Amino acid sequence: MARRDYLLKRAAWSLLTILFVLVLNFFLFRILPGDPTTSIAKDPRLTAETRAGLARRFGLDKPLVLNLQGGNPFDTQFFAYFGRLAHGDLGISFNFNRPVRDLLGERLGNTVLLVLGGQILAIVLGISLGLLSAWKNRTPFDTGAITFSLTAWSLPTFWLGILLLIIGSTYFGLPTAGKQTIGMSSASSLAQAADIGRHLLLPTLTFTIVLLGEYMLVMRSSVLEILSEDYILTAKAKGLSHVQILRHHALQNAMLPIVTLIALNLGFTVAGAIQVETVFSWPGVGSLIFEAVRRQDYPVLQGAFLLIAVSVILANLAADLLYGALDPRIKAP
Amino acid sequence: MIALRRACFLLSLTAAILLLSACGGGGAPPEGQPAATQAAVPVVLRVGMSGSPDSLNPGAAYLTEATDVFELVYSTLIDMDFAGNYIPDLAESWSVSDDGLQWTFKLAPDAKFSDGTPVTAEDVAFTLLAYRDWGDFGYMSGYAAHFADVQAADEHTVVVTLDTPIGNMESQVLFCYILPKHIWEAYAGDVEAALGFTNDPMVGSGPFHLVEYKQGEFYRLEAVKDHYGRPPVIDEVVFQTYANQDALVQALRAGEVDMITELPSTVVPSLRTEADITVAVGTSRGLRDYIFNLSNPETCPVDAGGVCSGHPALRDVVVRRAMAHAIDKQQVIDIAELGLAQPGLGLVPAALGKFYASELEDYAFDIPLANKMLDEAGYLDTDGDGIRECPAGVDCGGRQLDIIMQIPSDIGSGPREAELLSGWWSQIGIKMTPQVLEGDTVTANCCPAFDYDMLIWGWTSDPDPSFILSILNSEEISTGMSETGYSNPEYDRLFAEQTVELDDARRIEIVHEMQRLMLDDLPYIIPYYQQEIQAFRSDRFTGWPVPAEGSNNILYLQDPVSLTVVRPVQ
Repeated sequence: MARRDYLLKRAAWSLLTILFVLVLNFFLFRILPGDPTTSIAKDPRLTAETRAGLARRFGLDKPLVLNLQGGNPFDTQFFAYFGRLAHGDLGISFNFNRPVRDLLGERLGNTVLLVLGGQILAIVLGISLGLLSAWKNRTPFDTGAITFSLTAWSLPTFWLGILLLIIGSTYFGLPTAGKQTIGMSSASSLAQAADIGRHLLLPTLTFTIVLLGEYMLVMRSSVLEILSEDYILTAKAKGLSHVQILRHHALQNAMLPIVTLIALNLGFTVAGAIQVETVFSWPGVGSLIFEAVRRQDYPVLQGAFLLIAVSVILANLAADLLYGALDPRIKAP
Repeated sequence: MIALRRACFLLSLTAAILLLSACGGGGAPPEGQPAATQAAVPVVLRVGMSGSPDSLNPGAAYLTEATDVFELVYSTLIDMDFAGNYIPDLAESWSVSDDGLQWTFKLAPDAKFSDGTPVTAEDVAFTLLAYRDWGDFGYMSGYAAHFADVQAADEHTVVVTLDTPIGNMESQVLFCYILPKHIWEAYAGDVEAALGFTNDPMVGSGPFHLVEYKQGEFYRLEAVKDHYGRPPVIDEVVFQTYANQDALVQALRAGEVDMITELPSTVVPSLRTEADITVAVGTSRGLRDYIFNLSNPETCPVDAGGVCSGHPALRDVVVRRAMAHAIDKQQVIDIAELGLAQPGLGLVPAALGKFYASELEDYAFDIPLANKMLDEAGYLDTDGDGIRECPAGVDCGGRQLDIIMQIPSDIGSGPREAELLSGWWSQIGIKMTPQVLEGDTVTANCCPAFDYDMLIWGWTSDPDPSFILSILNSEEISTGMSETGYSNPEYDRLFAEQTVELDDARRIEIVHEMQRLMLDDLPYIIPYYQQEIQAFRSDRFTGWPVPAEGSNNILYLQDPVSLTVVRPVQ
């Protein structure tokens, strides 16, 4: 019973947070001066009728929160936004002239392809490196691994990306942009997959390198802490081998902080890697957000932020639940 | 442990997939043979660009990247070459009645849409009237506003009747993309439905057909080899979007693309040293302007939200002329645009050719003269702080010649330019403080609020000067189109006169006279006209129409004028 209450409470909090994000989302973008029509409305080649039509089509001619000029008081941008959300409609992109839902759906797949690959590689490599480094504490290997991880972690993503792009395209003939070679749509699906793989290589590598350091460092310090515990000493005294100690006594406990880190990072996965996607012109959510900010495309930003918020909240919820399973000390109250 | 083992498996799997694809991938190798030597392989020109079209529907699109597609896929009645001359497109010839009200266009008889349907006078009449009647169809509606009637006289003859003579009729049809009636008539009279149409596949009669389109990523066009007017030499052209300019330049270097539509001027010197890359420079119709707030209490559009808080001394033309004398335009160009711009004169850029008043003489860079002018006009530094005070006759509300210049943050070179100006103007006793603001804030302060002293901004002109000249009309003060609040009845009269003048030579004369007025009254200082910089791989395609040194021709290599004539290097 207690566990069910705990779960319900967590879920209720998550829902409330999402609702808060929804409201904040609406006002956040409208605090900014101007709207998408102002940038084109200045062009005298547009008739007044066209400018008015533009505002009308995007609902920007309506009052913001409450209609006090008579008529229906709820006939406003705010309530229209919630009304549409209730139907799962995220609005129409000002810039792309398409439903935001379709746009996000299309881009999300690409982002997951890129970010998930990079995350998995970074997690596996980072954790292994951290574990080894802790085990070989204060050896040249440890120093080397720490130096590498700190360097990788502090590299500016766009700089590393551009560097890899120049090297990759100059010496290895790797593509500089996009997800696939134009005109490949008629090729066999195997050839298409290989083509996408070639395009994925550099962005995935960039993403892996910048993420890897964090995992490595957290894992290393976590393992070091565990290894100084009394029960490890006991295990050593019992005559267990190094591998046995690492496997059975250290690893699971050391994983706790990593789980939080992974859950948080995975939550941000849908945000994509704005910088990596922009450097490599990868058609994902990240580059969509970048473009939307430049063009004040509120509906896309609102939709994207909602998507990010929901996934981060869900990932947090998942981490909470996973913690209970991993750590016997954490019992539902 | 199981988790770790599974993770290790996943890692090796991912690595294997990536490696496999890296080795096995096809793609276009940069060292590949010239495609022309093999008849079977289509000749594909690859273009890299920074943006992407916002829509394939001419009424719903606002970005130039969309116009690029329309130009290639649709016909217009008349086109324009890079020297600014009108050339036939769908209309083989055209004539106008003596009263200037009836324009007759003779169409190319063998024009076809991409779905095989012939292009007839009916399609043209339908298109032009639809643009007019939809009223709210993007840029198109403005062009068709004066078309009283459009009739198909026979299958290949269109007669446009105007409600008033138009001096620049050719320029009005320059961007009116001819739509197939059999597809678009479903939306006749319903602009909302017409705007909602995705228009994919695009059915047009231009020299290319759109065969593949991935919004925000790329599009692929196939050449129409039996085109009525200008069949392209190449077989295909693809446009790839690059989200960042460094990658775009690198793509050209690595041979991933054959031409790039834009590049930052900072990379021009290093690109010029590459043997197989040509950097092309031509005029563009874009210009930078320094705007004076000339609105005064009498002309202030209070009803439209006018604040009109500009420094009163700036309304004195002597002060403005002195400030113009204290600008070294060439140095602004060298520092802000790395030398890649032309000194400016008035609002009509040099790229407009015959309309550009090259005979006018600009204010020379002469600081002593500027000081002398201000001294003589009574602006003296009476308190010795290095900043001049207003003379007794000019009510500056207690302000010295201490002004603020607002700069929209999206004008990258703005702060550097303002710093130069500030240095020069301090030598003539005028203190100028630059203030960088978000673009929309500047829009809000600009017009019709007139809540500023000076602004840095810019314009891009149409090929015809009518639109750029219209922004100085007195009647635009309240609409927010006039940025300066400039009002001169003589200018207004000349503007009205040129809009209906049918004699080309006379119209050019009027347009030059307007530029003389503008330079004299100086509502704007135009430091420079921007230049278009593009680059292509000279080892792959040749025949690019690059303007000769010193010519005022524009450069726009993604235009059909260019893409129909380029050919692969043999």
